[in-house]
Amino acid sequence: MDRILIVEDDAETAGAVARAVREVGCLPVVCGTLAEGEAAAADDFRVIVLDRMLPGGDGVAAIARIRAGGAGALILVLSALGRAAQRVEGLEKGADDYLAKPFEPDELRARLRALLRLGTVQALDNDLLAFGELEIRLKARTVHVKRAHVAVSPKEFELITYFARNAGQTVTRMQLLENVWNLHFDPQTNVVDVHVGRLRRKLEQAGSAAIRTARGEGYVFAPLGLG
Amino acid sequence: MSGFWQARATLRLAGILAVAVIGLSLGAMGLQYRLVGDRLVAQTRAVLAADLDGLAALYAQRRIIALRQAIEYRAAVDVAGEMLVLADRGGRVLAGTHSVWPGLAATGEGFAVAGAVRFVADGQAWLGVSRVLPGGFPLLVARALTPVEATLASLRRGILALALALVVAGSAVGWVAARGVMGRIGRINALADRVAAGELDARLPGPRSHDEFGLLEGHVHAMLDRIQALNRATHRLSDSIAHELRTPMHRMMQKLARIEGQAVADDLRAEMRAAVRVFDSLLDISRAEADQGAGGLIPVDLTAVAAGVWDLYTALAEDKGLICKADLADGLWVLGDRTLIAQVLSNLFDNAIKYCAAGDSLTLSLTEGPDRHVMRVADTGPGLPDDIRGEAFERFVRADRDRARPGHGLGLTLVRAIAARHGARLTQPAADRGFVLEIAWPRLAV
Repeated sequence: MDRILIVEDDAETAGAVARAVREVGCLPVVCGTLAEGEAAAADDFRVIVLDRMLPGGDGVAAIARIRAGGAGALILVLSALGRAAQRVEGLEKGADDYLAKPFEPDELRARLRALLRLGTVQALDNDLLAFGELEIRLKARTVHVKRAHVAVSPKEFELITYFARNAGQTVTRMQLLENVWNLHFDPQTNVVDVHVGRLRRKLEQAGSAAIRTARGEGYVFAPLGLG
Repeated sequence: MSGFWQARATLRLAGILAVAVIGLSLGAMGLQYRLVGDRLVAQTRAVLAADLDGLAALYAQRRIIALRQAIEYRAAVDVAGEMLVLADRGGRVLAGTHSVWPGLAATGEGFAVAGAVRFVADGQAWLGVSRVLPGGFPLLVARALTPVEATLASLRRGILALALALVVAGSAVGWVAARGVMGRIGRINALADRVAAGELDARLPGPRSHDEFGLLEGHVHAMLDRIQALNRATHRLSDSIAHELRTPMHRMMQKLARIEGQAVADDLRAEMRAAVRVFDSLLDISRAEADQGAGGLIPVDLTAVAAGVWDLYTALAEDKGLICKADLADGLWVLGDRTLIAQVLSNLFDNAIKYCAAGDSLTLSLTEGPDRHVMRVADTGPGLPDDIRGEAFERFVRADRDRARPGHGLGLTLVRAIAARHGARLTQPAADRGFVLEIAWPRLAV
């Protein structure tokens, strides 16, 4: 079973994260201080969930040390320091993802799944992503459903590519905003919904119900009836 | 730039002082020159008066004959610097140092020195009188002014040399004095520049001197210490607020997650997200204000950021029936923070979409300027209501009109704080209707 390291001093949060870890099918290991966490990180973990304001220092400052120690795990920073600038700082200092507290369990699960998947699916260097009748050609940047071309805007193409990389899993609005638009703040309006809605209608008109709304938090791309 | 102008001001002051000292010295020397000149002319005049008195005495004894003899005798001796000419009624010279009448017309009678005039003859200046003696004999008596003029000329040369020496010495003294002052002020200016560039912990090395400059440096240091302490407190406070408020909210969120299938739980989650957004905005605002003028900005492609956020929002705006139009100049770079700039646009577009109705238009333009790139966001919606015009950029200011709409009156405050963080200028150009805002970002120096 894949193991996930949780470095978190708040017991309640650690418990919530551990629950989410079990729900994505992994084994949680909890450390309460930064020093313990850094020592444990040398072991074989798939993902490290790292708090920032820890006894012993800032988790983000430790990322470089953890990486230098040879840890191959992907790092998800989970912190109360959740302003846009702080998220960007965390990502710039080497975090693979950054989630602000308070978070919703759905959001954390989606992030963990995306990271676990990122660890297995290697760079998509093959040109064609095929999901039954739906095909995405990466080099030509085109989408076909049942052999018919579906005209999408450049942004919609990036959107469907991101969906395809996380096929079968819930993708949250915040993930889309961060990964497709590279924006790390929470807009007041659900601007992302409109874009997903447009893409979804285009696909539906072509005969593919690939994108569905997931209960609560986001969307699922399941062209083969997965999810 | 300011250092340059400061240096100019100091040099100007030194220049004014030097010019004043030189001017006063030259004035004093000029006065002395005039006194000497007048005195020398008066001396020549006295000699001339003595000559005239002597001639008058001779004339009183034996009239023209005596004068003629005396003049012939004097002409034979040929005293340099003396001119004596006696002519007859027809203008023929009877006796004199010159064989031809030198041209000064004879006027008046008698031997008084009053009325002596300066005239030029034989290529030199003379002071003399020319009279007509009874019987129509013109008489000219004059003394050369050459010695006087030679003295004055050498005096002039002396003054000129002295003036040159004064200019050189004055400039040198002014330059040394200005450099001393400039150096002291320059140190403080360099410190201010470093602080303005974000180096809040910069201080002047070495001990303070016991004069006004030392006092000024001490004051500047005290102010910087205070600014630094306040800045640190702001940063610490915002992190603590984030931590202390988010942790309980986080626990609430976790507990809410265990309540399944209740619409009220979703509502609560949305409310909590809104609350987090409010204090994030407050923290963003105070952080941007605290970091104003500080470093940490990197080159950002303003066009690309604007195009990205525009693309994100136009879909929503078009769905709401707004007519969207963007005109972005290519490749405009600024020194900035990409996320903050995106937040500015996001807030402005959010407002436009919130307040405009179907059929209104929303435009974004980005134009290149000589030293600033101007970003203009304009809509044809209701615009700012009169009751908050002027204070719309303050925290929590909302119009009575909008009480029913969601929002907290922080969007424009954040816009202003982020603009200030970037040294950008905000202006609200007059518009017939709607809300128009221009942000002039300082362009990236290449």
